Amino acid sequence: MVNFAWLDWFWLVAFILLMVFCGVLFYQLGKRSLADFFLAGRGLPWWLPAASVYATHSATDTPMWVSGVIYKYGLRGIWYTFFSAWCAISAFASTRIFRRSLAYTQAEWQTLRFSGLGAELLRGWIAGWQVFMNMFVLGWVGMAMGKLGHYLFSWPEWVGLVFFSSLCAIYVLAAGYWGVVMADFQQGIIAFSVIVIVSIWGIVAAGGPQQIIAKINSLGESWRLNPLAFSGWTTGDFPLAWFLTMMVIAIIGGFGMGTSIDWYPEAQRIQSARTVRDASYSIWAGSALIVIRNSLWAVAVLAFFSLYPHLQETAQYEMAWYRLGFEFLPVGLVGFFFAAIVAIHISTISTHLNLGASYATRDLYQHYFRPQASDKELVWVGRGATLILLLGSFLYGLMMKEITQWLIFALWIMTAGIWLPSILQVVWWRFNAWGYLTSWMANLGLSWLVVWVLPEFHLLPVLPDYLQFWIMMILGGMIYLPVTFLTKPEDMDRLVKYYVMSRPLGWWKPVREEAIKRGLLPGEEIRPAGGEL
Amino acid sequence: MKGIKTRWSPEEADLWTKEDYLTFVISPLIYFLLALGGIWCLLLRWYGWVVLGVSGLLIWLMIKIIDPKLRALSHDYEKKQKQFLEELEKIERWEN
Repeated sequence: MVNFAWLDWFWLVAFILLMVFCGVLFYQLGKRSLADFFLAGRGLPWWLPAASVYATHSATDTPMWVSGVIYKYGLRGIWYTFFSAWCAISAFASTRIFRRSLAYTQAEWQTLRFSGLGAELLRGWIAGWQVFMNMFVLGWVGMAMGKLGHYLFSWPEWVGLVFFSSLCAIYVLAAGYWGVVMADFQQGIIAFSVIVIVSIWGIVAAGGPQQIIAKINSLGESWRLNPLAFSGWTTGDFPLAWFLTMMVIAIIGGFGMGTSIDWYPEAQRIQSARTVRDASYSIWAGSALIVIRNSLWAVAVLAFFSLYPHLQETAQYEMAWYRLGFEFLPVGLVGFFFAAIVAIHISTISTHLNLGASYATRDLYQHYFRPQASDKELVWVGRGATLILLLGSFLYGLMMKEITQWLIFALWIMTAGIWLPSILQVVWWRFNAWGYLTSWMANLGLSWLVVWVLPEFHLLPVLPDYLQFWIMMILGGMIYLPVTFLTKPEDMDRLVKYYVMSRPLGWWKPVREEAIKRGLLPGEEIRPAGGEL
Repeated sequence: MKGIKTRWSPEEADLWTKEDYLTFVISPLIYFLLALGGIWCLLLRWYGWVVLGVSGLLIWLMIKIIDPKLRALSHDYEKKQKQFLEELEKIERWEN
C-alpha cells in the first residue's frame, strides 16, 4: 500500500489531463478521412511513429516480465527481451516493401500480394485474428494495471482495468490514430525519463554498481553478472542452442511480415510515415530505444536482486522494478512515477484500440460489407469498433486467469510454425496463398501434437522451446511446401502489379522479367554488378 | 567512401544492392552492442563505454551507407504514390 502526498496527486491529475488533452486536440484531423483516423493521413515524420513504437511496446506488464527473467536468469535474461531485434533488418527490408504496398493493414497486404479466393480467405482470417488478438492484449495489459492498482492502493482489480482504459478511449474515439500518435509522443518522453530516473535511483539505493557487483559475488552468484553465461550447448537452463535459435528467430525474422506479433502495430506505424525513408528510420529508432530501455531495466533489477536475493515466488520478484520506484523514491516523486506508469499503460491501450478497430473497419466492414462506404461513415464505424474492443477487453481482462495459459500457447504457436512462411511470402514469388493458409492451419494441429498431445502419451519427450521451434518448422514445411507446388502460382497480372509497386527482395526473377517485358520496368542495363537474387 | 555508392538514380535505388546487404549486417550488430554496452556502462565497466562508442560509430556508418539510397527511392516513390493509392482503393471497392 502506497500513501500519496498532495504533490503526488498533483502529478497524477496533471499528467492524465495533459495526456487526454493532447489526444483530443487532434479531433479535427482525425475525423477528416479513414486515412486520417487510422494512419494520420500517411504524413508523419519518422520521429513521431518512432516514439509511438517505443511507447506502445512499453506496457504495464513489460517491466514485470523483464524483472521476472532478469531476476531468474541474471543478465543473460536480457536475451529473452531481444526479440525486438527483428526490427534491425525489417527496418531496411520488409518495412520498405510494406510501406511501398500502401496497404492499411497486414490483412489488406495479403490481397495485394496474393489473388483470388485464397487471398480473400487469408485477409478474412488475419483480420479476424487481429481483432481478437488486440482485444486480448487490451484485456491482458488492462488487467496488469488492475493488479498494480490493487497492489498500490488496494483497489479492486476491475477499477484499474476499467478506469484507465476508459480514459484512454476518450481520445482514441475522438481523434483516432492522430490522438494515439500525438499522445504516444509525450507519453514516450515521460516514460523514458522515468525509466532512467527510477532505474538509476534503484542502482544508487542498492549502493551503486561496485556494491551490487560485490554483493552478488559474495553470494556466489557471479554468473548473474555475465550476459553471455551459457549453461552448455544444449544442457542446463540457458543453453547456447536456445540463444542461437532466439537470434535466428529475431534477426532473420526481419525479412518477413508477421514473424513477430509486434509486426502488426508496427505495420500501422510504417504506413503512417510520410516517406519510405521515414518509415525505415521510425521502426529502427523506436526499437533501438526499446533495446536501451531493456538494458536499463536489467541493471536495475540486478540492483533489486542484490537487495532481496532470496525471493522464490514469481509474483514477488516480477514486481522488482516497480518496488524500486515505490520503495525508494521520495514523497512527491512517487506520484510522478505512478503518472509515468499510467503513461506507459495508456500508450499501449490506445494503440491496440485503434489497431483492432482498423482491421474491423477496413478489412471486415468496408471490404466485405460496404465497399462503397464514404469516409465519414467509415470513421464512425471505426469509432464503433473502438468502443466494442474496449468493452470486449473488460470481459477478457476479468476472465484472464482462466485463459492466459491458452493464449500464451496461441502466441507461441503463431511464432513457431508460421515464422518461415511469413518470410517466404515476402521473398519468394512462387509461394502462394494456399501455401500460406495451409501453414497457419498445419501449425495449429502440429503445435497441439508436439507441445501437448504426443508428450502426454509418451510418444515424444517434453522438448525444450528451441527444439519445438525447429521441429514445428520442419514438420510444417513438409505440409505447406507440397501444397504450394501442387496448387497454381498466383496470377501473373497481380504479381507484376505487386512487384512494380513494392519491389520485394529475394527470388522474384520470373515476375521481374515479365514486368520488363510489359514495359513496366527499365531493362537489364541498370542491373547493378552482382545482379539480383 | 570508397566502394559505397552515394549518388543514385531512382531506377538504381529500387534494386537491392550491396549497400542494403551491408546494412542488414551492421544494423543487428548495433542492437546487440547497444544492449551489451548499455548494461556494462551502467555497471561502470570501462569496456561498456568502448562498446557504446563502437555502436555510435556503426550507426554513423550505417546511415552513411543507406541514407543516400533511401532518399533517392523515397523521392521517386512519393511521386507515384497518388496513382498507387487510387489503384488500392479500386481493389478495396472490388472495382479492379
